[in-house]
Amino acid sequence: MATEASAVGLDRNQRTDEKAVSASVAGRKLPGRSKWRKMLARPPVISALSVAAVLLIWFAATSWFQLAPAGRFPTPQEFWSSLRQSLFAGYAGGTLVGHVWNSLRLVVIGFACAFLTGVPLGLLMGSSRTAEAVINPIFSLMRPIPPLAWIPLAILWLGLGSAAKVMVIWLAAFVPSVINSYTGVRGIDKSLIAAARMLGTPRGRMIGEVIVPGALPLIFTGLRLSLQAAWTTLVAAEMVGALTGVGFVLNVAQQDIYPSMILVGMLTVGVLGWSTTWALAVVERRMLARWPQGRS
Amino acid sequence: MGSIRFENSGKTYGNGPGAFLALEGVTLDVADKEFVAIVGPSGCGKTTCLRMVAGFESVTSGRVLVNGKDVVAPGPDRAVVFQQFALFPWKTVEENIEFGLRNKNVPKGERRDLVQGALALMGLESHASAFPHQLSGGMQQRVAIARAYVLDPAVLLMDEPFGALDAQTRVVMQEELVRLARVQPRTVLFITHGVEEAVYLADRVAVMTRRPGRIKEVIDVKSVRTGEKWDDLERIEDVMDTESFVHLRTQIWKSLREEKIAAN
Repeated sequence: MATEASAVGLDRNQRTDEKAVSASVAGRKLPGRSKWRKMLARPPVISALSVAAVLLIWFAATSWFQLAPAGRFPTPQEFWSSLRQSLFAGYAGGTLVGHVWNSLRLVVIGFACAFLTGVPLGLLMGSSRTAEAVINPIFSLMRPIPPLAWIPLAILWLGLGSAAKVMVIWLAAFVPSVINSYTGVRGIDKSLIAAARMLGTPRGRMIGEVIVPGALPLIFTGLRLSLQAAWTTLVAAEMVGALTGVGFVLNVAQQDIYPSMILVGMLTVGVLGWSTTWALAVVERRMLARWPQGRS
Repeated sequence: MGSIRFENSGKTYGNGPGAFLALEGVTLDVADKEFVAIVGPSGCGKTTCLRMVAGFESVTSGRVLVNGKDVVAPGPDRAVVFQQFALFPWKTVEENIEFGLRNKNVPKGERRDLVQGALALMGLESHASAFPHQLSGGMQQRVAIARAYVLDPAVLLMDEPFGALDAQTRVVMQEELVRLARVQPRTVLFITHGVEEAVYLADRVAVMTRRPGRIKEVIDVKSVRTGEKWDDLERIEDVMDTESFVHLRTQIWKSLREEKIAAN
């Protein structure tokens, strides 16, 4: 209705007088309506509405109209009680907080290892032709191996404990960090390097104040991808062989044929992935505050 | 003190049958505090000449000397002003200007004074803590010039420094550079394809041949400038209107055009 009125209002010059009058009447009502529309059109409001819509569909499809087969497709009420069970009574050998703590710890350690090794290696490959020639063939061969293919070897070497998972997460998160740091260095404007050489920049300062800052936007892109890879790999690794963790919850719930608990596990991973990515984005915004907009 | 000497300098890229001869037997002397512009048809290797003085590229025959010494590597005694400014985007104006001084281990107090001086010289005082991307192209190039001047280099190398600027800004920067050359004369090697720019700025204009580039002729502008009192004229358009300017410009244009026609 409001759209119609504004459309009439727009080309009212071409309308007859009568219609022009009605259009201007409708036009007078517009400010009130557009106020509502403006409020509803705010991105956070739209996002909240979108989440509400999904919840509504979920309720409708399960508990209200029972469109989805009961038992296999959990209702929101079942989900809620499973969530409470996992939080307070515990499931798969511990409370959800305990599982989350274990998973989060492994991701953080694995991600930190990947960051501390991958970024320097990428920077080295980007800034030295020799280093590139040495590392590239090995890296190119290792890179297509899916991180999950390392799981059998990792378990064989390190058992079902944390170490094997950290190793696999490290390997998975390592690759995007290396590639993006490398690309970041290669992408630095050649004239900036020339300017730095002309200004007599010593080697250490060249790395610290020219190469690393120049590559930083892409280093962060790599870290975001690494974090994503870390979560994916962790869940897979915990599903294959673990005694605790969110992936283990998923595995046990599958064996128990417990769909609402599977959903609890999945959403937990979602929330964890989202919040760690958000934390990384906060660091990125802080660190890239000096960089021109649009380059990060 | 700063002089540049090209001694039969040549540059070949690659070797064997795929070798590419860019420069052949370039000979040119730039005296202390002299402003020499090199003009030439595109692809003649004029930028290569500058890059050899800067130390970004080495000669493959002959020599390139600065203050009588062979150039081996880039260094702050030969400051370069690039066409694309080449300012560090993550450093403020002040930090960009200060960077070379830090590399030269100039003490902090002295550094601050020098940076303040350079900011004042280029009219950048109010932009000291701005980032390059917050400035216009002309302002960015002022920062790049300040960054070069503050090093007190033996020679100043300018590689089409105003090529990326719009016409109005370019004129302002050209006037600015003439003012600078009077206030703080330096040995300057200036690469351009703008004949008017070269005649307006330089003491001598070297015309290069098409590839493989050589110095075709060197035209003295300084004697005309002092003889005709160009410096008494305030604006660039007044200088460009004088008969003497037009005459020199036409002379260089003809010389360049011969090369362009021959190249086709």
